[in-house]
Amino acid sequence: MAALIHRPEYAGYDFGPEHPFSPARLEMLLDLFRSLGHEVAPIAAPAATREDILSVHDEAYVAMVEALDQGKPNLEADRFGLGTPDNPIFPGMDLATRWLVGGILHGARMLMTGKERRVLQLGGGLHHAQKDQAAGFCLYNDLAVAIQAFVAHGWRVAYLDIDLHHGDGVQNLFYENDRVLTLSIHESGHYLYPGTGHIQDLGSGSARGLSVNIPLEPFTEAGDYLEAFESVVPRALSWFSPDVLVVQAGADAHFADPLGDLALTTQAFQTLYQRIFALADAHAHGRVLLTLGGGYEAQVVARVWTILYLTFMGLPLPEHLPAVWMDHWRHLLGPGTGRELHDPASAMPDLPGREARTRRNRDVVNRLLDSVRTYWI
Amino acid sequence: MLVNEIMHRPVTVIQATTLLGDAFQQLQTRGFRHLPVMEQGRLVGVITDRDLRFATSSLSPAPRTAGEPVSLVMSSPVMTVDPLDPIEDAARIMRDRKIGCLPVLDGSDLVGIITGMDLLDALVLLTGVTKPSSRLEVALADRPGELARLTAFLATRHVNIHSILTHPGADGRVRTVLRLDSSQTRPLAETLRADGFDILWPAQKPWQH
Repeated sequence: MAALIHRPEYAGYDFGPEHPFSPARLEMLLDLFRSLGHEVAPIAAPAATREDILSVHDEAYVAMVEALDQGKPNLEADRFGLGTPDNPIFPGMDLATRWLVGGILHGARMLMTGKERRVLQLGGGLHHAQKDQAAGFCLYNDLAVAIQAFVAHGWRVAYLDIDLHHGDGVQNLFYENDRVLTLSIHESGHYLYPGTGHIQDLGSGSARGLSVNIPLEPFTEAGDYLEAFESVVPRALSWFSPDVLVVQAGADAHFADPLGDLALTTQAFQTLYQRIFALADAHAHGRVLLTLGGGYEAQVVARVWTILYLTFMGLPLPEHLPAVWMDHWRHLLGPGTGRELHDPASAMPDLPGREARTRRNRDVVNRLLDSVRTYWI
Repeated sequence: MLVNEIMHRPVTVIQATTLLGDAFQQLQTRGFRHLPVMEQGRLVGVITDRDLRFATSSLSPAPRTAGEPVSLVMSSPVMTVDPLDPIEDAARIMRDRKIGCLPVLDGSDLVGIITGMDLLDALVLLTGVTKPSSRLEVALADRPGELARLTAFLATRHVNIHSILTHPGADGRVRTVLRLDSSQTRPLAETLRADGFDILWPAQKPWQH
């Protein structure tokens, strides 16, 4: 009842050796699943078509991606967010992204036909891509294309974004759509990219109350994070009662991530994943479609997304990572990486300012709940 | 940024002879808080919703009625600005005089109006938070070339700057806040630190990993 989607072409979504969004993470991950003794035969989905992409993106933007893909220089590129350090132009980027979009779209179709109830797309999660612009490592918004397909099928869709960064692209694309609830829990945009995702952004028109943001203080730890999640997400899903839950499962909220300032541990991610599947069972007919997302420290994403995969499959977690696998990937993992699957219990010391952060995080959640109360009835 | 870039135009005005009841209707239906008052095509005053409510309140020492003219209640003479004045000068006048709007005069022609809300819009625009970006905050030494050293560093990495704000810090250094078109600000900050810059944000993480 659980399907994994991946194909070797996903490795083509590659902004170059200096870029953090490295496709080597996926290969390393699949190799780890296999090294742990699991038979992994992912489904290879067809690429999304141009029409699929146009279900959420402007034609002018798609045409620009295609032109730059063919090596045609264009001074207008930066107006579309292309050719920046975050989104360098690379040959084949149109098709490389359509492979990723095709994967999640295939997963969405398996859910709509009732063939599967849980689907994990091993890649993608391009939540920053806007209607007319690339942003934050994201070219085409794979999540939005899948959500749009569900909406066209007549389903009500809940979107949950646990990436470190605000899921601004998905939120913006459905900001006025009352068939889609978007929930994003992230490090506050006061400092971090993309600078959005405030509690006051609640959706508009008939979709007021259907954009929900939980921005957390930099250096927020697992306790606060999970408390905020529990205060908001179950309530929202229970009220909205979606037909399916779509999840962007970025792993960059981990304390060792080089781009962020949240302080989740592997243990916190395990709890989070268990809760997500339980909530999908309780409120979304058990239907859940997940992608990966951000996560820029190899040894972290290997461990965190392995926990995701094994929880997703209902398989037991090992205590240790296979030595053979570690030796093979040492160049990415770094010399100091230990063999334990989980972070050591002593990973986080007593951090200064913890009480003040907890108070501020609770204030934010209370303010959010106060402002959505009138809509969630 | 100049006044004529953020002012509202055309301006809705009333006449000095307009009755207070009619002025009140204008303010209510249009959602305005300030109305310039004209006489023979010339600006002679400003009336605010607050002036009007106080003038007609039973708490006022000599309450006016809806049938009396605006000229009895309006503020006059009026503080005005030129369309080519910088907005920071307009802001300073409004702050010093504690007033909520400034009519904009080109010669004797009323060509626009700016309010406190327009200045808030300008502040939001100036800080660059209308575009996807992240924050970098640096304490620079107050001497020539420091800002150039910082921006040159960003230029070599092709990082676009959406906005730069600077203000004097309590320690005599220049607090500089940038919004960058990059989600990789933390690694950038590490490199800047190694180059000797005092980076206030992103702060070093309070844990080892």
